[in-house]
Amino acid sequence: MQSSLLPDDDMPGAGALVAALTHRGTPGHFDEWRGLETAAVGAEAAATVPPPSPPVPHWAQFFTGLGTDGWLDLPARLARVQQHVREDGATYNVYAQQGQDSRPWPLELLPAILTPEDWAKIEAGVQQRARLMEATMADLYGPQTLLRDALLPASLVFAHPQYLRPVHGVAPAGGTRLHIAAFDLARTPGGGFRLLAQRLQAPSGLGYLLENRIIIARQFHDQFTDLHVQRLAGTFRGLLDGLLRASPAGERSRIVLLTPGPLNETYFEQVFLARYLGITLVEGSDLTVRDHRLYLKTLHGLERVHVVLRRVDDEFLDPLELRADSALGVPGLLQALRAGNVVLANAPGAGVLESPGLAAFWPAVSRRLLQEELLLPAATSWWCGEAAVWAAQRDKLADFVVAPTFPDSRFTPRVAGQLSVAERAALAERIDVDPAAYTLQTRLRPGESPVWADGQLHPRAAVMRVFAIADGTGGWRVLPGAMTRVAGRGGLETHRLGADGSLHSAAGGSHDPWLSMQHGSASADTWVIASGAVDTSTLLPRPLSADELQGWHRSVTSRAAENLFWLGRYTERAENNVRLARVALEALPEASAPVLQLLGDLARFHGLVGRNVPTLAKAPRVFERALVHGLRMAVPGAGQAQTTSVAHSLRSLRQCAQALRERLSPEHWKLIHEVDDHFEQHLAAVLEAGEGHAPAPDVLGVLARAATHLAAITGAQTDRMTRDDGWRLLSVGRQIERLDMLAHALALGFQHRVHEADDGFALLLGLFDSVITYRAQFQARREVLPLLHLLVLDTDNPRSLAWVARTMRDRLRKLARHDAPWAMAVTEALPQPDTWQLAELGETDADGCHTALITALQGCSTAARLLSDEIGRRLFVHVTSPDRRVWQ
Amino acid sequence: MSAAEGAAPVAVPAPALVPPAAAARGPAAVAAAAAVPPAGPRHLSVIHETVYHYDTPVEVAHHSAWLRPRDTELQQVSSWTLTIAPEPDAPVQESQDAFGNWRHGFSHARVHDTLAVTSRFQVRLLPPPPGITSPTTDSPPWREVARALRYRARVQQPDAVEFVLGSEFAPQHAELAEFAAPCLTDQPDRPLLAAAHDLMARVYTHMAYKPNATDVATDALQALRQAQGVCQDFAHLMIGALRSHGLAARYVSGYLLTQPPPGQPRLVGADASHAWVAVWCPLHGWVALDPTNNIPVGQDHVTLAWGRDYADVAPLRGVIRGGGSAPPEVGVTVAPID
Repeated sequence: MQSSLLPDDDMPGAGALVAALTHRGTPGHFDEWRGLETAAVGAEAAATVPPPSPPVPHWAQFFTGLGTDGWLDLPARLARVQQHVREDGATYNVYAQQGQDSRPWPLELLPAILTPEDWAKIEAGVQQRARLMEATMADLYGPQTLLRDALLPASLVFAHPQYLRPVHGVAPAGGTRLHIAAFDLARTPGGGFRLLAQRLQAPSGLGYLLENRIIIARQFHDQFTDLHVQRLAGTFRGLLDGLLRASPAGERSRIVLLTPGPLNETYFEQVFLARYLGITLVEGSDLTVRDHRLYLKTLHGLERVHVVLRRVDDEFLDPLELRADSALGVPGLLQALRAGNVVLANAPGAGVLESPGLAAFWPAVSRRLLQEELLLPAATSWWCGEAAVWAAQRDKLADFVVAPTFPDSRFTPRVAGQLSVAERAALAERIDVDPAAYTLQTRLRPGESPVWADGQLHPRAAVMRVFAIADGTGGWRVLPGAMTRVAGRGGLETHRLGADGSLHSAAGGSHDPWLSMQHGSASADTWVIASGAVDTSTLLPRPLSADELQGWHRSVTSRAAENLFWLGRYTERAENNVRLARVALEALPEASAPVLQLLGDLARFHGLVGRNVPTLAKAPRVFERALVHGLRMAVPGAGQAQTTSVAHSLRSLRQCAQALRERLSPEHWKLIHEVDDHFEQHLAAVLEAGEGHAPAPDVLGVLARAATHLAAITGAQTDRMTRDDGWRLLSVGRQIERLDMLAHALALGFQHRVHEADDGFALLLGLFDSVITYRAQFQARREVLPLLHLLVLDTDNPRSLAWVARTMRDRLRKLARHDAPWAMAVTEALPQPDTWQLAELGETDADGCHTALITALQGCSTAARLLSDEIGRRLFVHVTSPDRRVWQ
Repeated sequence: MSAAEGAAPVAVPAPALVPPAAAARGPAAVAAAAAVPPAGPRHLSVIHETVYHYDTPVEVAHHSAWLRPRDTELQQVSSWTLTIAPEPDAPVQESQDAFGNWRHGFSHARVHDTLAVTSRFQVRLLPPPPGITSPTTDSPPWREVARALRYRARVQQPDAVEFVLGSEFAPQHAELAEFAAPCLTDQPDRPLLAAAHDLMARVYTHMAYKPNATDVATDALQALRQAQGVCQDFAHLMIGALRSHGLAARYVSGYLLTQPPPGQPRLVGADASHAWVAVWCPLHGWVALDPTNNIPVGQDHVTLAWGRDYADVAPLRGVIRGGGSAPPEVGVTVAPID
């Protein structure tokens, strides 16, 4: 580690020494560390390189304040950064289609820093660009004077797939079309800023930006304060205020964040942003349009939605009027938009303005619409759709990056200068065929920002995404900060900043190659130094009145409700399966005949072994092997019996949790994630070590660990979740699963008369997880009445049927209080073991059989399953069949 | 006649629902009827009914309709009504689309198993200005027209530019350009309208009129390759061919007055909706040609809406939940008013 080069004693000043450990920048690029362009070093001058100029004052201050101790602590801080990223579950999905491969969000330790002077330039330029975009959109979807007067080429705009004819003439509620506009900027060699691209439909990055800030500001708390870094909360508050101002319902509006779903590349930041802003995260299927109004489907019926902050791309918003194959949108949404009943942030239709082909036209458009010269220039670019332009540039192709004008072209940007002569000629011919589809961009030399790696500072090319936020009355506020992306060792490929068409259409929404962090690049927090006082306002909204609090509740969407219900069921099912597998493996070696029979029946019934596995009594070894192998996920095509055993339950649990991520605490989510991964890994290791003949004790060890994990998950669900109606539904799901499983097992046990054998008696207690309780109360007695008392009637035992049935009934009544008649009717039909008489349950008939008990228990199982169906029909009614398109 | 009828979801082969009477009569009878244009205004009444009988109940449905005909210089629409059964949940939303057509949005959130949408109206049609229907009418060389439609910085452009660009069903394509080459490429100085008439005849000759050979997902290129289809395919082929040479052409949906066989009464609902082409001329504006019948559009044609292709003006489209498979039953009646 290079940091050891800095001994404590002969330390003249941390700043100076850090400067000595700073690598020289790339000639021709602006050096953020020194605040000037890195000069070229000529061949003869190489021997006498001039001493490097000192760092700019803010970097000097940063490292002086950090001191030697701080410098030496940087490796530890980097480790903490990485740990925070992992703990927050900050990821981006690399292959959004498969949804499996998500990577930790790459975050640099050092922030990028902008001075007040730099920021003033950026702020003014970005505000003006945002105003220009809003004004252009109003013209394009209205009178179209820009097209008529050829200030924008009609043949580009009309050919753009994201010029959306269905929204032509739609006046947005509140008059604002754009609420968030993102601009990608790079520092020029001379120290100015250039606009590279703009994202106007559903810009991504705000959530990551926040995450970056929260993590990095914590690592450099003193520097953050000393440098007077501007805060972000005030602008986020401004975003919400702007949305409320535009909304038809004003302050009483409900705002939702519409996500394309967990498979989307930037799902993490959508969850993060929704939490930070305190708004409901929804998918298209959670919303419905009725009477030209938008509603959220919740457990308690339809609730009106007024504002949609959306991360679904334009074309996917409404399958009725836009892309018919979209499953991410809401049918009829444009009707609600047209009726002025909903604010879409941003309004659809801005995608066309993102085209790189338009870059050269903006100065003239600005003069026309704003009567202003553009303050923030864009990188030079040429749209080949103008015959004279293409003719003039054709021979200079090598100077340019060739980018697609339209997003879903099958063409990825390429640096023409890096192609062979023949390749370049082929490219020119390709452009000849359809010049309008191509745009030539000049290559950029972005400024370099210092990055800490291996005890030294390295200058790395950086580009930043800056966000403008509408105030809802025509004004714009620029978020003082940025999502900065810095290059990996290989350099930053700025020509990749254009849209990548193929992925875009496959992912179905909000694909943003800029955020994909290809080629080892990473993100960095960006600090803007305040020129005056730092705005310390927080995101706290206006205080609630007592009246408002009366009716306050957190909405549970129908989809979340269904997933919560199944989360409860799968957690319980996984626990039951683990317990069953454990007692079976423990009991097998010397079990009595009735116990073998019961275990065989239960294992088959719950899918722990396949239907064709011979009975335990006949071939105990074969059965045991089948049970152990069945614990794993069936490998398709491996000829393995299809089981629904432990691994299967754990995977189902994880899938439910995945769909609920925004409602689960990070620990809860992590536990669920881990138990699935670990179980599979550990079991595989045990099976491999034993070459398929795993000794039962090893397998039991794996099961025991899973049981511990599951107990922690149950704990998180019982103790760490808000007890709202969603939680009640989770609990009802759990009790249904438990009642069914236990009543069925007990009935089967008494049918096989296992209670008459010593090991059978113990097995029943084991299945109810009540061995210790029984011993504490009844010691070594082995009698039916105490057994039944504890397992069926004892309302202090959370595993007794009476407790389970009563809890299930009470929670269902409370969660369905909005539909009391239904809740009463349903719950009254349920068996009530707490009212059963022990004496009657203990009676046997002439053959010594507990017929009355068995009948009552079977009634419990049946009732539990019927209740599950009834809940599905009543409460998840909106989640059923998918939409379908019809055309005449 | 439109392939739209009978095609339920996109890309499913169309079941046989085009009324057999209309199919059997074919385009020839229409052409014969149009050969004697009347002199004064003509009055027609039109009924266009679409009925879905769903296999399973529909829980939620959202629909958009392009069923209200627009007024044009030559046509005046009166007493238009739209009847929807069952009644939609909220008043029907009326708006104008980007091309100035009428669009109606309505939705149902109550369970229903039948949906009937009926458009009724009367229309007064003036004869087209003399000469515009003739291939010998004076018009600029087609290549000059194409040049005027190309973008040059700061040079004002006609609205027609939008209709030069390829669209989903009528793209620009080398094969389509090749198809039109004898009418255009080989004679660069030929007047636009002469070339357009020639191309119309070429489409008419190339294509066999055959209902159910295509569906609502068939584009111009497919139509060219299989050389058969319905009015929609004829129109898409001609539009795509014109666009592939840099000319502006649009898709017009509407209705056509057909003549019952001599001595037989007019059958109610036996007609179908129709589609044709309008080509843009700097001198005469949009000139409408009907390639299915190889005639210029006249007083037998009732214009409903226009756009880049069928997808912009499909008469009725919806997103429904439930419903099973339910091919629509479509009946159109166009009759002269005495």
